[in-house]
Amino acid sequence: MMRTIEILLVIIIITGAFIISSLFAVLPSPRQVSPMNLPRLALTTLQTLDGDYDLSATVFKANDAPAWAQLQIALSACLPPNLVYNLTVYEVQGGAQLYTAIRYFSNAENFGVSSEAASYLVASSNVTFSVTPEKIGEHSGGGTLYILNCSDANGWWITGYTAQSLAQDLYNLLSPYFKNTIMVQNTTQLGQMLNNQSLQGETLQNAVVINTFGECVPIPKDYCQGYGRQNEGYSPSADYPYTRYCYTLGQRTRQYNWTWVSIVGYPLYYASNTEAFANADNTYGIYGMQKVEKGGINAFLQGLDNQSYRYDPAEVASRIPGFVYLSSTVADNCSYYGIYPSSNQTSTRALSTSILSYNLTVALKIFDQVGYKIPGAVYNHIFRNDVNITGSFLALGLTRTPDIRLTALGLLSYYNPRLYPSDYMVNGTSRLVVLQLGQAGGV
Amino acid sequence: MAGSTIDHIVALTVFLAALLLFISLFNQTIQTAILYQQHRHLATVCSDLLDNVMLNPGYPLNWGKTNSTPTSFGLQDPEFTQYRLSPFSLMRLQSLTGNPFTYPRTGVTYSNMSIGFGNFLFVPYTKAINYSTAAQLLGTTNTYGFNLTITPIVTVSVEETHAANPLTLVVNVAGKGFPLSNAEVSYCFLKVVDKGGQKNPSYTSLFNTTYTNDEGSAVLQIPDVDNNTAYAFIAYAHMSGLVGIGYHERVTGNKEYVLPLIDSFEDRRVLLVHSYNVHDYGPPESSVFFNATFVLLTEDFTLREMPMGTSTGKLGKVVYGLGTKETYANLTIPTYNPGILIVTYQSNNEYGVVLMPWGMSSMAFPVTFGSTASNPEWVVTDIRQVLVNGIAYQAKLSMWSLKGYGAIG
Repeated sequence: MMRTIEILLVIIIITGAFIISSLFAVLPSPRQVSPMNLPRLALTTLQTLDGDYDLSATVFKANDAPAWAQLQIALSACLPPNLVYNLTVYEVQGGAQLYTAIRYFSNAENFGVSSEAASYLVASSNVTFSVTPEKIGEHSGGGTLYILNCSDANGWWITGYTAQSLAQDLYNLLSPYFKNTIMVQNTTQLGQMLNNQSLQGETLQNAVVINTFGECVPIPKDYCQGYGRQNEGYSPSADYPYTRYCYTLGQRTRQYNWTWVSIVGYPLYYASNTEAFANADNTYGIYGMQKVEKGGINAFLQGLDNQSYRYDPAEVASRIPGFVYLSSTVADNCSYYGIYPSSNQTSTRALSTSILSYNLTVALKIFDQVGYKIPGAVYNHIFRNDVNITGSFLALGLTRTPDIRLTALGLLSYYNPRLYPSDYMVNGTSRLVVLQLGQAGGV
Repeated sequence: MAGSTIDHIVALTVFLAALLLFISLFNQTIQTAILYQQHRHLATVCSDLLDNVMLNPGYPLNWGKTNSTPTSFGLQDPEFTQYRLSPFSLMRLQSLTGNPFTYPRTGVTYSNMSIGFGNFLFVPYTKAINYSTAAQLLGTTNTYGFNLTITPIVTVSVEETHAANPLTLVVNVAGKGFPLSNAEVSYCFLKVVDKGGQKNPSYTSLFNTTYTNDEGSAVLQIPDVDNNTAYAFIAYAHMSGLVGIGYHERVTGNKEYVLPLIDSFEDRRVLLVHSYNVHDYGPPESSVFFNATFVLLTEDFTLREMPMGTSTGKLGKVVYGLGTKETYANLTIPTYNPGILIVTYQSNNEYGVVLMPWGMSSMAFPVTFGSTASNPEWVVTDIRQVLVNGIAYQAKLSMWSLKGYGAIG
């Protein structure tokens, strides 16, 4: 008899366990078993109604505008009949209460058991949203952009353009990102810069100097043969005496921590001054120009690395590699800065990695490196056992004609200034539309 | 001793009976819970798959405009973000509903997406994406079955209330059982001009705009149209972000006409064939002369005719019978912008007009793609509102499991 009683006790315990577990195992309502994704439906409904910006236009209209009635008709027309809705428009404003309801309409008194909602922020068509860029040098000093726009010099390898037109394009592209942008109008002003004289009260140190003359570089008359600074621009012992001028440029780049920019071709291949070289041409019929040839870049790098000057005509750029591609960093920045050059270019003047022996490090690859050739990059000069940058050099070894957007993109990718979009939360510029959906009928 | 034995026997019997009962009860509870989880999981997969298809253009991005099979399946318009679908990718989906047919002159079988006489869309099977390919690319083969329907939200129906001069047409614009009042209706009326004899027909076109009344209707009177005039009428209705399309044709005969068959998406080439070659009505009949044009919907929701040069093959004739050069004609659509190909035709005694959408949305054709559920245990559905070249559609995905459920006793 005891066994039977024990079994009955066991049955009571199991029954209790079953009842208790059944209490916790609450079965969901049929609607929860196979739910429709109402938030997504609400969002896509709002997106559809705003497909041609009709929703954006309507929500900024007066409360008695006929467009509200049309919006309600359209909303009713595009939702399945078993769905009930409530559309509420909120004004977005500052202060303690961020959202204030200004208008709503619905096709039901309540939403029954449950409902879901989606929100959609619309902007007024009367408001222009702007982007404010961070200024280069704002926090680190410097922030001056010099664009060589010298009227007394000629360019080379910029076929189809003039240095002045390229300078204007660069000004438009880059001036918003710099504290000061100065067009260097003639070689006299360039001479002032080289002599550590500010042109408009700007900071000379840590500046960016863009040479828009392609393979040619303007030379102040003072640095030419027979003038006051001849020793810094002219060395008769070399095959191409004005190679010495490139050495001076390298020195100044180091002394003032400039970033010297060569926009296309073989850097510093010619020097130009239309007055001083009025009777000389570059052997291709462009007067006002003297050849510097391959020694120019070597002399520049010697000056940059604070080595003593020696004429070195060795070639450091070659006609290969041909097709080159933007590096992933620079390609990513196309969308950020809104500059979209072609991602593949032709490089026929890529610098060799051998130039890195001048204490250069590649700070940014504008194009992917191909073997020992660097088609486009920003180089930092850092003395051995030092951490400070003492001059930088951007070289784009591309074929003519130059795409000036690559220069702009390269500089922006190197300095990486941030962009600050205008605040969407300004009163009256944005409204929040919330569409709440529920399923009618059933449970 | 005997009492103790009986006690044990009774206790054991009762215990075993109770054990079986409770195992059954617990099993039922567990089954219900598992089924609930599986159904809910299926609903999640359905929602995810729908988003995956709607928010991804597939690869290559422009596969809808090529003849190639994509290596990744998606229907989003590559030129847009959000839920905007490519009208050309939709056009390349093999229809589940239409009866396919084989054109005997080329031996090519076509997926039939046409909506009644005069509103034709035939896509070659070899260039259409079938369900098994899509399922394979989406990774649902042998696990889930699905059916995707994409239907226009706005219905624009056209009714002829007075056939004689002046022709009176009533355009009714409605949403899901809801009339759209004060909707802007932009329309194109194209009248076939019978040239008589063995000549290509010509046409005159009229473009205008009107608005619907409180009942969602607009009454239009078209002058210079009598009982025997063949014409095509296309209307776009637009209101508060919703756009819909309606059309109507009148022909004087529906036996001898031209049928447009898409031949190449990549080359925008369409074959125009004689209806007798398709329907095999009987003995050889006369040639059918045609004159084609193309209209597109502009950004301000008005219709515009796009000129077609003679090099596109806009003028020509097709004949019935074997061994002739003009069995079918080649015609090149002048653009990749969605629009409507309008072909006016004329034979000895019959003339009329047929339409073909270039891009699924141009004539608000619905899409039914996928498989049919064969006695599924549970079917889930989810819907999204989408835009196809500005036309409002509703996409519904139905989905079921192909694996079965072991929990079902």
